[in-house]
Amino acid sequence: MGPGNSLHSSESRDSPVAMRLLIIEDDADAADYLVKAFREVGHVADHAADGEEGLALALEGGYDVLIVDRMLPKRDGLTLIGMLRAKQVDTPVLILSALGEVDDRVKGLRAGGDDYLPKPYAFSELLARVEVLARRRGGRNEDTVYRVGDLELDRLSHRVSRGDTEIVLQPREFRLLEYLMRHAGQVVTRTMLLENVWDYHFDPQTNVIDVHISRLRSKIDKGFTQPLLHTVRGAGYMLRDGAR
Amino acid sequence: MTALGKLVRTTAFKLTLVYLVVFAAFAASLLGYFAWNTRRLITEQITETVDAEIRGLAEQYNQGGIRRLVLIIERRSRQPGSSLYLVTTPTGEGLAGNVGSLEPGVLDAAGWREAAYRRHEETAEAAEHVALMRVFVLPGGFRLLVGRDIIERERVRDVIAQAARWSIALVIVLGLAGGFFVTRRVLKRVDAMTDTTQTIMTGDLGGRLPVAGTGDELDRLASHLNAMLARIETLMHGLKQVSDNIAHDLKTPLTRLRNRCEAALRNARGEADYRAALEATIEESDELIRTFNALLMIARAESGQARENMDTVDAAEIVQGVVELYEPLAEENGVTLRGETPAPALVRGNRELLSQALANLIDNAIKYAKPQAPTEAAPREIVVATQGEADRVLLSVADRGPGIPEADRGRVVERFFRLEQSRSEPGSGLGLSLVSAVARLHGGELGFEDNRPGLKAVLALPRATSPDRERTG
Repeated sequence: MGPGNSLHSSESRDSPVAMRLLIIEDDADAADYLVKAFREVGHVADHAADGEEGLALALEGGYDVLIVDRMLPKRDGLTLIGMLRAKQVDTPVLILSALGEVDDRVKGLRAGGDDYLPKPYAFSELLARVEVLARRRGGRNEDTVYRVGDLELDRLSHRVSRGDTEIVLQPREFRLLEYLMRHAGQVVTRTMLLENVWDYHFDPQTNVIDVHISRLRSKIDKGFTQPLLHTVRGAGYMLRDGAR
Repeated sequence: MTALGKLVRTTAFKLTLVYLVVFAAFAASLLGYFAWNTRRLITEQITETVDAEIRGLAEQYNQGGIRRLVLIIERRSRQPGSSLYLVTTPTGEGLAGNVGSLEPGVLDAAGWREAAYRRHEETAEAAEHVALMRVFVLPGGFRLLVGRDIIERERVRDVIAQAARWSIALVIVLGLAGGFFVTRRVLKRVDAMTDTTQTIMTGDLGGRLPVAGTGDELDRLASHLNAMLARIETLMHGLKQVSDNIAHDLKTPLTRLRNRCEAALRNARGEADYRAALEATIEESDELIRTFNALLMIARAESGQARENMDTVDAAEIVQGVVELYEPLAEENGVTLRGETPAPALVRGNRELLSQALANLIDNAIKYAKPQAPTEAAPREIVVATQGEADRVLLSVADRGPGIPEADRGRVVERFFRLEQSRSEPGSGLGLSLVSAVARLHGGELGFEDNRPGLKAVLALPRATSPDRERTG
């Protein structure tokens, strides 16, 4: 990582696969910024300025993830998602919204969205979430054993080992590691961890997650030459086999 | 609208009219029934006496013949009264009686009829009377007519009709007067209310509707509206305070942000300087967003909007969850964090908001209660506990820190209020206001107690009345 690079660059990723994204957003400046920012990290992003155009483009298919603003001219975001889902288009959707309340998020997810990010957001957060959504289609959820390097996690027996060493984890640490391993090679942000591992959607002011991570790190990385759990500056964390 | 027009349009006046019609109809039907019954009674009485008389006269005829009958009839005819008598030959020539002329055809057949007549002494110009009479055909073809003038019956009818007219007129006059009186009274009070609402609408939220103190429906309405106005005033006041605070406390960091950018433009000597300035700017704006979110959340909690998203939740579970989240952070700060949840404690609430409130309290406790010197012997302890009372559930966060001076305990929940000694610590000054807003949203309250030494923040929530089948947790 270059010094001071607040976005994680593509070279730090496991296997950089270019994604095709559709950004449905009526604010031209915001959309412009997103299109450029995604291009910089190696993805292709199209832009639709209203609900009608967005729906038409999304129906054509070929996108890995749709980024949909909730309030759009002509057809609002939630209706658009509903129509896509009704037409059996299951492209993952991330909803962007100025409405950040818990019930707004629930409404968004109920309408068929896969993730919800309140504005204003950090681009690194958006990127991390979009990449996780794109990868979700790969169907890693079905694996019963996750492996990263010599770290192994058995989801059924709840056993974790690294090399020949058995690692004992608290239940929450297990879930944290399970989430990190499911998204190995991808950046996961602190908010994503708080949401998916702890099921909290508020901002805990202090970085409680960092302490959990350093505890986990001391259990899985301490005493091993090759660290697996990396901090991605300005974004979050990534579990990655650095030897590859 | 004229005063009269306004009066006539009121509900009270319309009701008066309806009652007026109902009462008038009632009076009319009552009098009508009375009139009909009286007439029937009088008629019955006449027929009975006439029948008896005819029976008697027929007997006299049978015993003494026509001569005796004529004598009796002549004697009776001379007596004053309303009785009518007439005896005629089978061909209709009058033999005796006080009837001078009759409607033609009356004597042709036996039976009852009502017919007009004149007495002997009356001239042709005099008005005809009406009588109820019976014609009886005696053996031998003589006809006997006995009747009674029914002027009395007609008079009674007139009296009743008169009474009906008067009483209905009286009902209408009294009803209208009463209606006007009641309506004017109501109208005056409603007008007073409307005037007050007008002043309130022009911006004076301190105005209240007049309450007469009679406890009637208008009073109840007025006091309910007053309670509503008080609530609106509080909300407006809160809103104003929020906007004042936003103006004050968001402008400060915004100014700092702007200054930093200006300084960077002026003084930066290379890319590294610009980068540092930009990174600091992003950090500062994140802090701003955080403050802004906290303010929004407080406003939302206070407006009561989140009340729809409440479920029955177990406070013990919430405590365990948040304690588990903060335990490593506490340990890193040299504090042990312990949850004491002896039993499930069900409350009706929003898990997110309650968790966040607890998180804020625990965060505060860790921030202010961590050991001042790292050489301290035993680690300080923070205990997060649930305690069930009869109708409340107490969630408490007790630390061994410096506590809050008693005089300041009420003020720490105010927005942006920060104790002098804590100004150096990071934080927006919104944490406890948010906790307090969450408590109020749940119908509870946030209090502070002395933990001797330290502070014990107590979140008192009403116990859930009936556990829902659906649990979130």
